[in-house]
Amino acid sequence: MFSQLVMLGSSGMLLTALIVLWRKHVPAYISAYRLQVWLLAGVTATVGYFASDWRLFAVAFVLVVLKAIAIPALLRTMLRRFGAQPEVRPYVNTETSLLIAGLLVLFAYVLARPWMAVTDLPTRDALPIAMGLLFVSLFVIVSRRKAITQVIGFLMLENAIALLAAVGTYGVPLLVELGVFLDALMGFLVMQIFVYQIHETFDTIDVEQLTRLRH
Amino acid sequence: MSRAIAILFQTLLAAGLAPLVGGFIRWVKARLNGRRGAPPWQPYYDIQKLLGKEAVVSRTASWIFRATPFVVFSTSLVVASFVPLVAAPAGRFIAGDLFAAVYLLLLGTFFLALAGLDTGSPFGGMGASREMTVVALTEPTVALSIVALALNAGSTSFSQIVSRTLAEPAAALGPGHLLAFAALFIVTLAETGRLPVDNPATHLELTMIHEAMVLEYSGPYLALVEWGASLKLFVFLALAVNLFMPWGIAVSLAPIPLAIGLVTFVVKIGVLATAIAVLETRVAKLRLFRVPELLSASFVLALLAVLSTFLAR
Repeated sequence: MFSQLVMLGSSGMLLTALIVLWRKHVPAYISAYRLQVWLLAGVTATVGYFASDWRLFAVAFVLVVLKAIAIPALLRTMLRRFGAQPEVRPYVNTETSLLIAGLLVLFAYVLARPWMAVTDLPTRDALPIAMGLLFVSLFVIVSRRKAITQVIGFLMLENAIALLAAVGTYGVPLLVELGVFLDALMGFLVMQIFVYQIHETFDTIDVEQLTRLRH
Repeated sequence: MSRAIAILFQTLLAAGLAPLVGGFIRWVKARLNGRRGAPPWQPYYDIQKLLGKEAVVSRTASWIFRATPFVVFSTSLVVASFVPLVAAPAGRFIAGDLFAAVYLLLLGTFFLALAGLDTGSPFGGMGASREMTVVALTEPTVALSIVALALNAGSTSFSQIVSRTLAEPAAALGPGHLLAFAALFIVTLAETGRLPVDNPATHLELTMIHEAMVLEYSGPYLALVEWGASLKLFVFLALAVNLFMPWGIAVSLAPIPLAIGLVTFVVKIGVLATAIAVLETRVAKLRLFRVPELLSASFVLALLAVLSTFLAR
């Protein structure tokens, strides 16, 4: 039951990353991200319940408050400022990026094989999925053109690492976890300022424009 | 002997219920749109009316055009006779497994596309080419989701898959099962011409796929084609509910389990049909050039299903 629930949550998280590759509008990305955080909080709480570790509940709570409520709200503010233009043609088209995502997950499974052979954690089935999520989020970052989509890719990458920590080691110490949260939040705020600056200077958040010198 | 009667009964049940499912979906959609809508049993009247009419056949049409309605209807009927509907007793019902079911249905589609080309009308050719594009893109997904299911159960036989899921209800919550279900659901929508891929309610020439292929049919031929199409939808829905949520299905041919099986089967089909109706009211038809995106998404889902069952052991 435990491993089934964890598997279900992690697969759901992977699917939300695929939604970002498939859909073309930023509001859809934001709701996919929010759903992913809820799933992550669910997985963390499940691991906490079965490992009877109260700190994981605290982590799940912070996750919900910070990432499922605060960051999506900030993302929405960002979106209001720029208007909701659809993602300009990404570097890789949708069909190919979905197939590449499939291959990346396959790759993650192959990579995780030796690791899965040596652990006998009940959550071991979710390890390759977490790694797959890591690769897919990285792929989102490198294949999309708009800064805001890349920020969402970064946030998903961070979720993947949190998932990996939860299923691989039953969570890292609370202090480290809080540090990572603050880190991610600061990173996000810095990126937000960057995106605002890009928008101010270039009148667009298409990062392609950054390769040209302005003056 | 009881097996033969059961097969006959199940075939009749499928052929009898199939138009009702299509009509039910249309009725729910109408209610959701705030219209009164035709009653769910309207398709029976349509079929009856069409059967009484004269068939007009183009002079340039060959035997393929005349044979196709029978091929479409009979392949669907044969598949309906061996997929588990109400009961899935141990051993093969008659010959035929998951592969046979899917590819027999594909044979009907293939002939329909040929018939669309046969009369030489531009719409028929257009519909046939679109249908073949969609089918060619769904095929890998179908094959992969079959493999995902078969890997779980260790066999492609229906009763094995059903009994395996019944024995291990936790496996039905596993990602392999759920992802394969999602993939097969998208394939069902694509292959039976439902909304995000094809709009069953219009004859708008720019967008139609299924309707364009059958444009030249009239009278009893049209009745057979439509009946066959609704039978195909019925079979796909039955596969979806019985392979992924087999609870309530009769595993023996005793009367009481059969009665329970019949009731749960009708309820499950009703729920899934309602889900399709809700989905169809909520989504718009995809542009033809975005259909490959949807289908590649379903392919990735099926791939992940296979990965999580095959590589994770």
